[in-house]
This record gives sequence, structure tokens and C-alpha cells, in this order.
Amino acid sequence: MSSAAEPDPASLIEAYFERGWTDGLPVVPPTEKSVAEMLAGAGLRRDEILGEIPGRNTVVVAEKVAINAALAGCRPEYMPVVAAAVRGLCHPDFAYHGPASSTGGSAMVLIVNGPIARRLGLNSGNNAFGQGWRPNATIGRAVRLTMMNVMQTRPGLLDRAVLGNPGKYSFCFAENEDDHPWEPLHVARGLSPARSAVTIYASNSLYQVYNQLAAEPEPLLVCFADALSNLGLPNVKGFNQALLVVAGEHTEILRQSGWSRGQVQSFLIEHTRRRVADLKRAARLPGEVTPADETAWRYFFEKPDDILLVCAGGRAGSWSACLPGWGNKWTKAVTTAIGEIP
Amino acid sequence: MLDAILFERAGVPAIAVVTEPFRATGEAMATSWGMPGYRFLEVPHPIANLGDKELDERADRLVEQVVALLAGASR
Repeated sequence: MSSAAEPDPASLIEAYFERGWTDGLPVVPPTEKSVAEMLAGAGLRRDEILGEIPGRNTVVVAEKVAINAALAGCRPEYMPVVAAAVRGLCHPDFAYHGPASSTGGSAMVLIVNGPIARRLGLNSGNNAFGQGWRPNATIGRAVRLTMMNVMQTRPGLLDRAVLGNPGKYSFCFAENEDDHPWEPLHVARGLSPARSAVTIYASNSLYQVYNQLAAEPEPLLVCFADALSNLGLPNVKGFNQALLVVAGEHTEILRQSGWSRGQVQSFLIEHTRRRVADLKRAARLPGEVTPADETAWRYFFEKPDDILLVCAGGRAGSWSACLPGWGNKWTKAVTTAIGEIP
Repeated sequence: MLDAILFERAGVPAIAVVTEPFRATGEAMATSWGMPGYRFLEVPHPIANLGDKELDERADRLVEQVVALLAGASR
């Protein structure tokens, strides 16, 4: 941190990079003042414990997270979202070590719901996963820098991503709660619509699903099911979690159909499957193919809530997205209410 | 790796077996638990696609090293 004699910002940026405290992009050198403002933005004490990562012998203290939020370029008013996301990261259900360290190289996907998303100007519309919106770019970045600098999750050491993915820089967006076919995600997960919340979800890939001809839910959802049942799916043992981001014209098809969230989830459970014979031929299951395997199906999801349905993206266009999860036997998405500052 | 560290902390001798590309990760994990230099065994990578026979052969080759490290108590 800079002292009374402020060093040149450009040399500080280089110094932070050389010490391995960045994600490779230039950071905003924090100051005593900016860190204090970040803490005040979330009403946090410096020494307040946001959580711990038992598998890493690490206690996560608010000041360290605030420093990383400043490094990431967050504004102080973003800090409540960052703090809630870090609390989610530390939740036992998220089982941090797996998605953070696995060769699969998961992005920590942050889905923001409720009034705070609009207040901060988080993008939920066109290019929701892309560039151009400061809260989207910096909130997720603050979480990743916290993982690197506080939880020591550095590439090649305790982050063993084989390829990683670009979402590891930042992957944060708001749900589009207008014209929604169903209740928003945080409400489906037990919070009141008036609350704000952030859901953290680990995914190692993003696959965009295209369908311009579908006018009813069934053909559209068959495409989702197909995308979620490819032979290279990490987990073919049936304890998956998946995030489906329904966008544009697809949202409208589902809204007009009147299908409930539960109906969509049930349809997807029923149709996301492969024949055991296919899985064995592809060496995704061990053993010789038997005649019975040709007609035996393996289903990839167990429970409706294992399929997280979210709406985001621009209104025009026939694209949605599937984001396979890290596997809910070990890691589950966690939704954390965002503390509002009085 | 973490299991072995926790066993050691509880006073139970243990050996972690790590495939070679994960050496740096094993060292980082030991350091984060305040046990830099913690000794563990390395084996060739990968192992997930080996057959039973090859796995047995690798395990046989490892036994003596496991016993030596457990008996040595030199950590």
C-alpha cells in the first residue's frame, strides 16, 4: 500500500505485477484511503471474518478482500456484492478446494439478483457475459484476485487448471428480472424478491445454444439437453449441476408457453441422458459393451434444483447458454444475501 | 495430500502419494499448512487410464518406499 510519499502509480502497477499479485492485467494500486472506503462501502470492520477455507488453513478477513477489490478497480458501492460472493466461496457447500484447484479450471460465475443489481448498473442485457460494464468486470475480478492473494490459489500451484477459461478473469452478471418467465433465481432459492443476493457457481465452460426455428419449448429444450449430454461432459455419473442462461427470443418462447420452472427442469432431467453403450464406446465408462447397454440409459441429473435456470442477455437473437457445473456431489452453487448498507 | 498432513498433525504417521506434475501443488499445500518441506512420494503420471495389472505393478514398486518413509519418522 502507498504511504504519505505517494510512489508513481505506473511503477506501483509494475511492482504489483512482479510480485505475482495480479491476474496479468494492470491493477489499481490501493491506498489506505481507498481500502477504508471499500470497507465502509459494505459496512465492514477491517478485522471482520468473512469466512474460512478449512482445506487451505485460511481465514478470510474483510481488509484483505477490500484490498483486492481496490486492486480490481471496484467502486466502494460494489463491495457488498464482493463480500457476499466471498462468503459464498467460503460456504462449506461450495467446497472451495475442488473447483478452485481442479484441473478443470472453473470460472467462479457470479449471478446477482435483486435491487442492488440495478442500483450498481450491473449488466443483465446485451453482452451480459462480455466486456464494457465496470461492475461486471471488476466484481468478479475482485473475487478471483482474493482467491489468488488471500487463498493462495495461484496458477500452477494450488490452481491446477489445464486450460482454464477466460471467465477466470471475471464472470459476473445480473439476472434480467423484467419479463421473466418465472420467479428470479434468488427467489427460487428461498429469498424474498426485495432482497439482493449473489449466487456463486463453478463452471469450467460456456456453450452457446442456438435455435432460431423453435416456437415451442420442447424442441428448444431438446437442444439444451443435447448440449448438456455430450460425451466429453466431465461428469457422467449423474450428480451434475448445470446453469442454463436463457436469453433473447428463447426467454419469450418459454414465457409465452406458460411452462413453470419446474416443468422445464423436469423436461431437461428426462432428456439429458446417453445410452450406456455410447458411454462405454467412448471410454467414458469402463467395461465391454453388452447388448443390454444399447437400450440402457444413463441420466445426468437427479433433482430439478440441480438445474439452475437464469434469464439474461439481449432481447433479439436466438442464443442461450449452457454452463456445465463442477459436479454437485462435491460442490453446490451457493446463494448469499447481500448485506444492505443503511 | 491434505489427509496425510492432517494425520501427521494428529500424530499418525502418513504418506501422501502424488503424481509427478502435482509436485508443486503438494509443496504449496504443505506450505499453506505450515509444513514446508513435508516429504511425500511421487509416482509417474497419469494413472487414471491404467489397467489393473499396471496399477498393481506401480503399487508393488511403491511399497518399499512407503514403508521406508513411515518407518523413518525423519520428517
